[in-house]
Amino acid sequence: MKDVIGLVDCHTSPSLGELTAHRTLASTSFLGRYAFIDFTLSNFCNSEIPTVGVLVKDHQRSILKHMGNMLSWVNNTKTGHVHIFYNEKGLLNPAYNSDIANIRENDWVLYDSQANYIVFASPHILLNIDLRPILEEHIARKEECTLVYQEREDCLTSFLGGDIIHLDEEGYVKKMEKNDGSKKKAKVSLEIIIVNRTLLAELTRRHQMVDASWGVRELLPYCLNNHLFRIHAHEFKGYARCFDSLKHYVDYSFELLDRNIASSLFLEERPIYTLTHDTPPALYGEESSVSNSFISNGCVIEGEVKDSIICRNVRIGRHAKVRRSIILSNVAIGDRSSLQDVVVDKYVIVTARHELKGDPSNIIYFPQGAIL
Amino acid sequence: MSTKLAAMILAGGKGTRLQALTRKIAKPAVSYGGKYRIIDFPLSNCANTGITSVGVLTQYESSELNTYVGNGEKWGLNGVRSLTSVLTPKQTEEGSAWYLGTADAITQNLDWLDRVDPEYVLILSGDHIYSCSYDEMLKTHIAKKADCTISAYPVAIEEASRFGILVADKDSNIVEFVEKPKKPTSNLASMGIYIFTYKVLRAALIQDAKDETSEHDFGKNIIPKMLNEKKRLVVYRYSGYWRDVGTVASLHQANMDLLMSGENKTNLYSVQGSNRIYSEDPFSIPQYIGKKAVVRDSLVNQGATVEGEIDHCVVSGDTLIEEGAICKNAVIMNNVIIRKGSHIENCIVGPGAGTDIGEEINVGGESIVLIANSKGRKDE
Repeated sequence: MKDVIGLVDCHTSPSLGELTAHRTLASTSFLGRYAFIDFTLSNFCNSEIPTVGVLVKDHQRSILKHMGNMLSWVNNTKTGHVHIFYNEKGLLNPAYNSDIANIRENDWVLYDSQANYIVFASPHILLNIDLRPILEEHIARKEECTLVYQEREDCLTSFLGGDIIHLDEEGYVKKMEKNDGSKKKAKVSLEIIIVNRTLLAELTRRHQMVDASWGVRELLPYCLNNHLFRIHAHEFKGYARCFDSLKHYVDYSFELLDRNIASSLFLEERPIYTLTHDTPPALYGEESSVSNSFISNGCVIEGEVKDSIICRNVRIGRHAKVRRSIILSNVAIGDRSSLQDVVVDKYVIVTARHELKGDPSNIIYFPQGAIL
Repeated sequence: MSTKLAAMILAGGKGTRLQALTRKIAKPAVSYGGKYRIIDFPLSNCANTGITSVGVLTQYESSELNTYVGNGEKWGLNGVRSLTSVLTPKQTEEGSAWYLGTADAITQNLDWLDRVDPEYVLILSGDHIYSCSYDEMLKTHIAKKADCTISAYPVAIEEASRFGILVADKDSNIVEFVEKPKKPTSNLASMGIYIFTYKVLRAALIQDAKDETSEHDFGKNIIPKMLNEKKRLVVYRYSGYWRDVGTVASLHQANMDLLMSGENKTNLYSVQGSNRIYSEDPFSIPQYIGKKAVVRDSLVNQGATVEGEIDHCVVSGDTLIEEGAICKNAVIMNNVIIRKGSHIENCIVGPGAGTDIGEEINVGGESIVLIANSKGRKDE
């Protein structure tokens, strides 16, 4: 797939509430050892796409920190490249900080490359997908644009604000509309969009003429309504989730504690790559009690953990209790503390005998670095 | 300071007493501590000391070890001013030869050292477990104007006959060195870690290579000869955790030392800062502890799935311990599957091994056994 550039589109990421107040969704911690962008980058890597661009909307530092030397997700460290697309003008003018504007600002990557096909993918849609057959189909059928979708029956509550598509008899998109939560069953866009190089050039040209605040998601329905080109639709039947709120972040994280569900995301043939942190294995004390949880390396657990997700380098003191909670990295939880239905951000210190309690319908969030 | 110092890691040994664990891999590549291979320790120590030129000398079953060491990237030893070379026996104009002993291995690679052109050479063993920086040892070597500095460690006197034993005077000058003495006169054991002034080492090695009666071994030939020649040999006393794991039982014990109930001098875990140990990061799934699992006093790596009971265990990645299985006082290496209802105690389960449903192994057994079969995951 040398002919392809993959673009990680961070411009379309929804907010996960306070969790993404100071970082992008792409670099937000997930399941203890990943960031969301790992899945998008791993999909590109496993699909043998050598050149990747990350369209950064904001919080560049957080993404760069996670990307490290950028080589953790490329097959060949010479022929593979990860470029950061950063639109400084867009930051000064947020209303015009769209993915298309970002591509225009950094179009040298496209000029430099011989690639004929560009794949957009959004880190907030979590899936493990092999793009190769979809690209092969796109090329064989001589399509201009292909969109990956999924037929779902939970659209009343999920993929809200995402795109619902309607197909004609030939399998092309006939109409696109926003999911307003009024239909239970619909075909939703997974925001994986393959476009030809010439079409992307046309899109960026039109972007200036029509509405410079638009991004790809606004331009596509416009082009469709004006019959500028056809969008071929490809159905993906595997596991896919749209992370669009703190509640969904919590629900979908806990859902993966079920090994049957986890095995549909973590596939042996397509592993998920991430940055190494050189942390030692997790250490459990003589009185620790842990069940139904993901525990990351670098943790020292002497207390009780149940139905939870514990990130790297977390210390849980003696007789401390953690239930139905997500604890991000480098948190210290004092002896005899009790945490239930909470999300605790990085570097928080929970002093001994402290109690933090939300309830399953109202998860409470504690910000980074708080001392409680 | 350390750009002056090159390291040579002797990693060619077989480790026969580790039984089936070293049938297909060299001892330095044996897994340890749930995540590491033994050679991660000397290599990480070199990285943390700031040594930039490292030669790894391999011989026995070397393909997996050579691949693992690669260009030193896992330990950051692939930077712009760094050089990591795997040095295997080779064919030359003079013919071809295996490494005949520890000293001969270095002699055969003097050309590599000449190119690196170090002032001092650090000779290490690839199969020792310890976390330290060699800075202090080099400082001692330079301050004492030594020709050779030997790192030494106090052992129990009854064990002393297994080691090279040193006798030193008040000023740390070595006055006597005996390899595996029958009646040891001191309990100060050589750790097989030497710093030589390169010029002195080079001359000694060339001289030794001509000696047909020599076994070409540092402990047996080079060091005693240098002592005879009144060269300045100095001892550096090491006090941290250090293990040379030769047997299945000692490898098991060294793993257990890492546990919270283990030896608290094992600073492997608590050191998160400058003396960190680096290793390979396989792309495993997050570590999952199941609904009915019991995990007590254990060390568990990412990629492990524990549904059963583990007590006093070290568990590597990509392992599965099924519901109802019981593991006590066990070291479980990678790609292992412990099936439902099976019960194992006091053992090391080798890579890719496993148990059958309901199987009992060494329950109540007094000595440590090695379980080596192919009942685990097939993919390595």
